[in-house]
Amino acid sequence: MRTETANKHPVLFLKTTRRAWYGCSAVLCLALLPALLAAQEERGAREVFADLILAQAGEQAIWVETLSGYGDPIISEVYAAWRAGGIYAFESDGNTRVLMQVNGDGWVAVRTGEAVQLSEAAIAKLSKIRPSRKLRKSMKGLIDTLGLKAPDPATRIDSAIKMGRSQKSEFIEPLRKRLEAEPEEQVQAALREALAISLLANGDDAEVLLAVTDLEEMQSIPAKDFIEKVLAAETAGKGATTELAVACQSALKSIESHMKTLEFYGSFFRGFSTGSVLLIVSFGLAITFGLMGVINMAHGEFVAIGGYVTFMVQRAFIDVWGIGSTAFEWYFIVALPLSFVVAALLGLLLEKSVIRFLYRRPLESLLCTWGISMVMQQAFRLIFGAANVQVNNPGWLMGNLNYAGFNMSFTRLFVLLLALVVVFLTWLLLRKTNLGLHIRAVMQNRDMASGLGIPVARVNSMTFALGCGLAALGGAALSQIGNVGPLMGQAYIVDSFMVVVIGSVGNLLGAGLSAMGIGLVDQLLQPSLGPVMGKITVFLIIILFLQWRPGGIFPTRSRSLED
Amino acid sequence: MLKRDNHTEFLILAVVTSLLMLVPLLNAIGPAEGFLSVSAFQVSLYGKYLTYAVLAMSLNLLWGYTGLLCLCQSLFFALGAYMMGMYLMLMIGERGAYQSVLPDFMVFLGYQELPLHWKPFYSFWFAAGAVLWVPGLLALIFGFLAFRSRIKGVYFSILTQALTYAACLMFFRNDFTFGGNNGFTDFKDILGCDLNADATNRGLFTATVTLLVLTYLSTTFLLKSKFGKIQQAIRDSENRVRFSGYSTTSYKLAIFVFSAMLAGAAGALYVPQVGGVNPSAMEAAKSLEVVVWVAVGGRGTKWGPIIGAVLVNFLKSFTTQAFPDYWLIIMGGLFVVVVLFFPDGVTGLYRDAKAALNKRRAAASPESA
Amino acid sequence: MSDPNAPLYRDTSLILSASGVTKSFDGFKAIDDLNFYLEEGELRTVIGPNGAGKSTFMDILTGRTRPDKGTVVLHEKDGHDRDLTKLREFEINRLGLGRKFQTPSIYKSHTVYDNLVLSLDHPRGILAALCYRESPADRDRIMGVLQTIRLQDRLQALAGSLSHGQKQWLEIGMLLVQNPRILLIDEPAAGMSDEETERTGELLLSLEKKHSLIVIEHDMEFIRQIARKVTVLHQGHVLKDGSFEHVKNDPRVIEVYLGRQGKQNTTNPLSEK
Repeated sequence: MRTETANKHPVLFLKTTRRAWYGCSAVLCLALLPALLAAQEERGAREVFADLILAQAGEQAIWVETLSGYGDPIISEVYAAWRAGGIYAFESDGNTRVLMQVNGDGWVAVRTGEAVQLSEAAIAKLSKIRPSRKLRKSMKGLIDTLGLKAPDPATRIDSAIKMGRSQKSEFIEPLRKRLEAEPEEQVQAALREALAISLLANGDDAEVLLAVTDLEEMQSIPAKDFIEKVLAAETAGKGATTELAVACQSALKSIESHMKTLEFYGSFFRGFSTGSVLLIVSFGLAITFGLMGVINMAHGEFVAIGGYVTFMVQRAFIDVWGIGSTAFEWYFIVALPLSFVVAALLGLLLEKSVIRFLYRRPLESLLCTWGISMVMQQAFRLIFGAANVQVNNPGWLMGNLNYAGFNMSFTRLFVLLLALVVVFLTWLLLRKTNLGLHIRAVMQNRDMASGLGIPVARVNSMTFALGCGLAALGGAALSQIGNVGPLMGQAYIVDSFMVVVIGSVGNLLGAGLSAMGIGLVDQLLQPSLGPVMGKITVFLIIILFLQWRPGGIFPTRSRSLED
Repeated sequence: MLKRDNHTEFLILAVVTSLLMLVPLLNAIGPAEGFLSVSAFQVSLYGKYLTYAVLAMSLNLLWGYTGLLCLCQSLFFALGAYMMGMYLMLMIGERGAYQSVLPDFMVFLGYQELPLHWKPFYSFWFAAGAVLWVPGLLALIFGFLAFRSRIKGVYFSILTQALTYAACLMFFRNDFTFGGNNGFTDFKDILGCDLNADATNRGLFTATVTLLVLTYLSTTFLLKSKFGKIQQAIRDSENRVRFSGYSTTSYKLAIFVFSAMLAGAAGALYVPQVGGVNPSAMEAAKSLEVVVWVAVGGRGTKWGPIIGAVLVNFLKSFTTQAFPDYWLIIMGGLFVVVVLFFPDGVTGLYRDAKAALNKRRAAASPESA
Repeated sequence: MSDPNAPLYRDTSLILSASGVTKSFDGFKAIDDLNFYLEEGELRTVIGPNGAGKSTFMDILTGRTRPDKGTVVLHEKDGHDRDLTKLREFEINRLGLGRKFQTPSIYKSHTVYDNLVLSLDHPRGILAALCYRESPADRDRIMGVLQTIRLQDRLQALAGSLSHGQKQWLEIGMLLVQNPRILLIDEPAAGMSDEETERTGELLLSLEKKHSLIVIEHDMEFIRQIARKVTVLHQGHVLKDGSFEHVKNDPRVIEVYLGRQGKQNTTNPLSEK
């Protein structure tokens, strides 16, 4: 439902899930609360509601009128309790307090929202208050349209769309009213869309025609089914050539083509984000292979280290500050650099103990590092268990960015951003630092570099550590969009090797291009071929590509005979 | 000199073969208890090791002698296993859980009739042929594309690994008509012989020993021929071979296809002895395991892969029971140590020890030198 | 197109003609409109500073690199012309072009004898290789070549155990048993002692007339020993060709070898010692 509604709005807006709402409601409320609502909030919705409950039958209408100016979600909560018989009056010290029963045995003061402890004796004294039939009738409209006044624009949009889809004639008036008062452009659009959908069922001929053309203009995807219904009725009644039928057909065509476009861009976006993960993972691989001629089969396990470090940082944050805390929101920011550092240190250790014996012996390095990868995998299983561990997204990474009806999850956007940052930092490191200069020198001519006094052994260690660190960064990023488990790296390692082969060994630009290319082709093929056949087709394309360019995108020309 | 080496070699082969044949013999007529008893389980287990030995030998032809580190040997092995498995599945007939002519998994997936490509597999001989030509054909096509574009060294390894990965994904799918992730199992009989009967087990073991001996002999023949010398020359200096007028592409292709067929044959004998096959047999990690066997035994030697396969698998059987959690760590560690410190494996150690001994002897009796 | 010194050789037929050959790597023109003609039985020495395109030229002749433009034609004895740019390495080799590489490329885990067996110009197909049996004639031929390259005492030694000079000789021997029409020899004297160099020179001279030879060399003394006609390559095309003395004193050649300082420097880099 949520994604459906989000698809409808051809304008940019922020839409967060429920969990995210807890996380950042404070920030969002401050930023987005309409001025109109702010003025009315002087007396809280809770207080007004409490007054309403205690009011005499004659005065209730006024209180309902006042309450209708509020959009606080608490209203529907209290009203639901009221209807179900969960509202009690409690007399103490001459004051009458309104209490709401929560979770069977808890009590909350409606006016303040505070929890109240009651003794057995006090409970016996409570008297239940029930809404009258008349009041229930007047409250129904208020509750149904409550969402339209909610402080969160996303909720307003949601409820507008819901009301539109119900096509109930009684909603048309509140929708119109709200449209006049609504300050947010995105919400206005949703309201217009909801109105038009409502009118499809409730309007006269002219209004229906207008609604259809409006919806065509809005390329409203949720309206598709309703327009189809209108078209079917019209065709059955008056034939397929009336003005309305033609308008419907044209609207449907336009909406369908819009849906296709969205689907295409969706694949594109997913392709880019898959490509970004591949890019981060394979960058490290490309660097180590290009520089040292070492194929690191344990690269995938360094990816897993990234995932596990993120997991451990998360756990530490939960232990210290708790899961709902503001501090928890920051855990991922801490985990990113930490995973890089941990993996880089382990990489350094590995390089010093094993890899340095294997320079320029790619086959041996491949075998040896595979042995290491098995040891590491089993170590993960022994330490963290064979099952995947749970890594939660911080609040700010939940939800979607919606642009022109096209959804992009924050996590995937973040991964894209991270890939850009990694590319930029690597470029900076290779081009602007001393270490980068040394790395490039060793890459081009190891013996010459060593002859010129470049500490080749140290450059090697640093580069290997860098490669492992990048792998772990990729793993940390993956923890937000995939599973974290002992085999998480394995799923990416084959693809990453393909990236390195296609992009020409040691060529970072090539690795970047081929990562994006493989990610894109994979995602563009998946909708029609399914994930497995898609992967296999990608593999076939790679083999055929190598027929055409055996050396990859940017082949290096070597002058030595046996290379 | 050369002649005498030949004689010793064949003598060793004869001794090893007769020792191996003691296994089914003791199973048939040996005591039921004690050191000399061989259970039916052991016959199958050792039979499995020997199919692994053939698999290792097929990889050795590529990696040891031609310098091609192929990471899709397990795929060829599994393909052979699947081809034979198809025949065995059909031989179950209506004795399956669903009492249908169709294999159980097909009934489960709602197939009404046997897919066309399954039909010929009612014939044992067709299956036996497919065991060879299916892996062979795959090797031919893939090898042609890879060698033609001069993919070699690590790139070849990476691509073969990807091929295995892709095939593995395919076989995990239910609609690929090969039983999805459960693969084939519950076989009843082969060529009319009950697979649970001891005699059938002994027959399969004997067939495996025969395959092993044939593989050994053909390897020996190849290595002695000019073909084998070219093969090794490709390993040392492929460009020189090319500039000496040989099409290295066709030579590599030939040995690749032959090796794939050997692996397929080994797989075909593996299936009835183990009693099933599923896609995990072709995981990329399995291919690397084969590489470990060859490396531990000593690559580029005729006995190395056999020794390595049997040794590592004995070790595996032992450790997976004694320390199930640490098997992968032991195996991985072993591999790192072998690659770093004993690149010539067990046979290399033996050779070095012999050389050291000879040296000492020579030093002890200078007059004989 | 016309070769300035061609009249000397015009009466003998050509065996190889490369015309208009161009090859560039990433925008850098390694070979630029190169024209090169080789007479039957001729010994040609090719010199040039580093990066002049000598090795690339060899690569093009042997099919290792495909030129962007131009043709390389082998004139066969039966009068057929073969465009080598369309053929693969082993096909070119079978037509009779043998190549010795700059760094010795031999089969290090085979014996010296087997190295030569594998180089014989027998049918090179797979079946032929499986069925091959050594004939007495093959053995005689190999022993003869072993004599020539002075490795007759080491025929059962592993090629990897030979000294650098011996490896160079072995590779030359591997070319000789192929009995090629054209031998392309890249720096044969590199890493050899003076005596070995001298003997290499004698060997090459003895091959003249029976085979056509293209020798790339840097060692001026060695060139002086073997030089008949010398071609100087510079920036991917022929700068000058003619006799050694003629080329040696050409001011343009001297400048190319010395750069700008050459004018002040009195020592001619092309003169030995």
